[in-house]
Amino acid sequence: MLKGYWRYFLNKLAWFVVTFIFAFLLNFILPRLMPGDPVAAIVARLAQGVSDATGVQAIYRQYTELFGTNRPIPEQFIIYVRNVLRGDFGFSFSQYPRTVADVIRSSILWTICLQFPAIIVGWLIGNTLGALAAYRKGAFDKLLMPISIFVSNFPAFGMAIILMVIFAVQLKWFPTSGGYGFDLIPNLSWDFIRSVIEHYQLPFWSIVIIAIGGQAIGMRSMSIYELNADYVKFSRFMGIKDRKIVGYVFRNAMLPQITGLALAIGTMVGGALVAEIVFSYPGLGYTLLNGIMGQDYPLISAVTLIITIMVLTANFIIEILYGIIDPRIKAAQAEQG
Amino acid sequence: MKHTLRQVFRSGKFVVGFAIFATLLLIVIVYPLIVTDPPLAIIAEGTFFPPGIYVSSFDVVNANTTYVNSTYILHLPDADTRRIASRLTREDRLAMKDWLIAVGIPAGEIDIEDTTQLLAQWSNHYDPKAKIEGMTIAKRNYYARLDQALKGLLSTKEVIIAAADPATGSLTKTGAIGRSDYVNIGQVANVRVLPLGTDNFGRDILTELVKATGVSLQIGFVAGLIATLIGLTLGLLAGYVGGLVDDIIMFFTNLFTVIPTFVLLILISFSIGQEKRGAFTIAVVIGLTSWVWTTRAVRAQVMSLRNRDHVNLSKLSGHSIAYIIVRDILPYIASYVVMALILQISSGILAEAGLSILGLGPRTTEVPTLGLMMNWAMIYQAPILGKWWAYLPVLVTIALITFSMNLMNTGLDQVFNPALRD
Amino acid sequence: MANVMLEVRDLTTKYVTRFREDVYAVDHVSLRVEEGKTLGIAGESGCGKSTLALSLMGYYFPPLHYTGGEIVINGRNITGMNPDDIRKSILGTEIAYIPQAAMNALNPTQKVIHFIEDVILAHDPTESKKNIYEMARASFETLGLSADVLHKYPVELSGGMKQRTVIAVAVILRPKVLIADEPSSALDVTSQKMVIKMLKDLMANGFIKSMIFITHELPLLYNVADDIMVMYAGQIVERGTAKEVVFDPLHPYSKGLMGSILVPEQGFRNTRLTAIPGAPPNLKNPPAGCRFAERCKYVQSECKTTSVPLYEAGNGRAYRCILPEKTLREAYQHAR
Repeated sequence: MLKGYWRYFLNKLAWFVVTFIFAFLLNFILPRLMPGDPVAAIVARLAQGVSDATGVQAIYRQYTELFGTNRPIPEQFIIYVRNVLRGDFGFSFSQYPRTVADVIRSSILWTICLQFPAIIVGWLIGNTLGALAAYRKGAFDKLLMPISIFVSNFPAFGMAIILMVIFAVQLKWFPTSGGYGFDLIPNLSWDFIRSVIEHYQLPFWSIVIIAIGGQAIGMRSMSIYELNADYVKFSRFMGIKDRKIVGYVFRNAMLPQITGLALAIGTMVGGALVAEIVFSYPGLGYTLLNGIMGQDYPLISAVTLIITIMVLTANFIIEILYGIIDPRIKAAQAEQG
Repeated sequence: MKHTLRQVFRSGKFVVGFAIFATLLLIVIVYPLIVTDPPLAIIAEGTFFPPGIYVSSFDVVNANTTYVNSTYILHLPDADTRRIASRLTREDRLAMKDWLIAVGIPAGEIDIEDTTQLLAQWSNHYDPKAKIEGMTIAKRNYYARLDQALKGLLSTKEVIIAAADPATGSLTKTGAIGRSDYVNIGQVANVRVLPLGTDNFGRDILTELVKATGVSLQIGFVAGLIATLIGLTLGLLAGYVGGLVDDIIMFFTNLFTVIPTFVLLILISFSIGQEKRGAFTIAVVIGLTSWVWTTRAVRAQVMSLRNRDHVNLSKLSGHSIAYIIVRDILPYIASYVVMALILQISSGILAEAGLSILGLGPRTTEVPTLGLMMNWAMIYQAPILGKWWAYLPVLVTIALITFSMNLMNTGLDQVFNPALRD
Repeated sequence: MANVMLEVRDLTTKYVTRFREDVYAVDHVSLRVEEGKTLGIAGESGCGKSTLALSLMGYYFPPLHYTGGEIVINGRNITGMNPDDIRKSILGTEIAYIPQAAMNALNPTQKVIHFIEDVILAHDPTESKKNIYEMARASFETLGLSADVLHKYPVELSGGMKQRTVIAVAVILRPKVLIADEPSSALDVTSQKMVIKMLKDLMANGFIKSMIFITHELPLLYNVADDIMVMYAGQIVERGTAKEVVFDPLHPYSKGLMGSILVPEQGFRNTRLTAIPGAPPNLKNPPAGCRFAERCKYVQSECKTTSVPLYEAGNGRAYRCILPEKTLREAYQHAR
């Protein structure tokens, strides 16, 4: 039993490492595939960005060093990986003299605390609604499904804008933008925490609602499939109560939904980043937008890498948990061995 | 084929989706034939003019002065009330109510929606010299101004139209517009209907939106076509050839499944650079990054078909791989491919919108796209300023496109996979 | 006369489709199974035999609905009983069911012993888990299964093992009647043999008192059953002892079935049950007359207009055809 799980774990770990390396490679290669010398392009952009002459000098020197542009590509890659592993992404163009690592440090926590809880809550609510729709059928199902289809096809930024217009602009229940009141300095006071919670609501729910739609549809068809399974019939004819059987069905339909979450998390994070932008939430999405507006290549490169790593890690954790929860995984692995 | 089509059109979901989509498409094709203005022409000086019918004030005045025939006098009993009603804001009405209550009128007798009654009460009870306890001077001045404005609106004097003498600079009366003078809107030379107002640059939103819908649909179509072609080819190869080819293809498919597509899109679009990013380039980039799901689906289908009797028969008959794929496999997965294409088009449109909001969409000078319109509205804070006409029609259009495509897809799914039915 | 374990009179059930159409898949079926006996039910796929199996349980859920008839199990008439009472005091304890394709009959994410706990606690909530385990272990060992199976997930068992586990679970409460619907159809030959042997032993070991065995494989049925009923389009068309039905079929449909099996044509072994030309009628609109008329070699003009009752031919033999026994036998003789 344990052996089966170990095999599964090592398999997933190897895959995690491989994807990780590829994420690095892509992040390194994609910008270099484009015509032109990246450092030259950077310098060209610098001329417009930073007015401080010594700043230009410092950045230029730092970047020739960071990229090692006069060295062969494989060596450049090693330098790049070494720098990244040290957390050294260089200076930010648009926010000089702040380093990229510093900019990201101040925004990453906002994103993690916003997106992952929202995605998990959306997943839970969506699955519950989908299972209910499959089990109760009738009016509930007929009402929920078209709404879910509509919501899941609605662009994430659209949901964010609509929530903002209704609850922030019209009803004025919540603030329109930011992560906390602009008149506050981050500290642990009650005022600040309340402000953070208020600012959290709209971005949070707009991500949740989008996630609910897609999950509800998936869970419904999965549950319908499971409700027609032979074990349901057999359990019924063995005299087991319906409520208990629904428990089996719910659990079994839920399990594939977990892998579904692992696969969908990348897409969801993409949508959530845009939702952050709508609310000017001080997370990675908003940082990314600022980077794009400021033509800040090192910042964009670092943010995309960090987002990829976050998604890969979340994916890995989900797969690992799934292996523990679903006995079929262990059995399948043991069979191979 | 005919039978399949008939079956497809019997699915309610498909028909609804198809109807919405066809209507959108029809508008995109027909509208430019009727309104031939360039979609990105800046016609308004200023931002966000609300939707409505715009009548040239100059032409109205000239209509009244130049031609006797085009002046009409109408005596309408509620003209004054309407005139005031359209000027009195809700705040003004509430302020008037406050005054009236302060001078002792019971609140129950005041109805701020009833303009005639409110005005009557006001003219009877307003006294500029009255001292009301606790009222600031600023507030007193406000009431005085309000009263003056109301008197101006109620004045029976006509408006004099004068022209400046080019030599002396002195004004000469050229005409007068009385309170009962009307023009027929049909005789005013310049009337422009702006059903959705103007945007932040002063462009007609409806014309822009129709063009943007067309461009976005094209982007979605190109992206979808590329993604589906790649997905189909890789899926067929992986599923039919199997072995090492399958392993390699699946390695990359799995890789690009976990690496977020959106991040790839951002990196590539940024690397291409603003100057080189046309709508077509964006479409190609989206297509190149979104083939994984089609590959998976096609591969699974092909693998289940690979060992069917008719395929084996074809193999035994010595047909080539290409022949077998085209004759014995493609027809069976055609419905899946069509469904995948529809989904890809819809997600391509969404991807373009997402990119544009980030400022990585097509360069902004040539054509509008739905994403760019969203981006402009966001940069100019239309949602916060309450300029709904700048973003809501765009959102509704995007939602209608994706929703209709998904309805069509669900409909097709039910027709082709009856086993999935409840 | 031996004890009657199951008596069914005029049982009629229907499916209601999504389009609110009624499909009478079981039409006035009567049958009786005595203690120690196995009744076989034969027929092509789609003839209603699986629906009959479901209907016999007396516990209906959509899309299957009860419309008429009586079911008496071990002297107890369960017709009209409250479904919750049926669930508690009949299912599993009086009558048990092994579904078709029992490969998936066990919840894949639950250990076998936990499912057994759920089953037993559904009937007696006071039972202790320790007793349940002892009981299950004893049962499994008597039936030749290792107690280790109890601690496994169904996915960890091989196909044949899974099927035998399902059977062992189905009889854990010692039901009087066991209904087995194609219990061996998806298995390889060796596993099939083990499963059949296990089913035959159930009665000898005292786990069950009678069995209804449903299959389309006639040689197997002849081997297992004491009596055989042939179903066609929701109705019984012939009844008799296994020997009578197999070697001296009366109804033209039974004759077709037996003929196609006993003289297998080369290369068509797998299609033997469709060897009768044509397809069964659509039960949404059953034909007014004999339901087999469209495919019958001996069809008469009145067959298509008058409905044909089941004629009793003495000694429990019965068949549904307007032609007399003698005429039918002569016709078959002639055909050969």
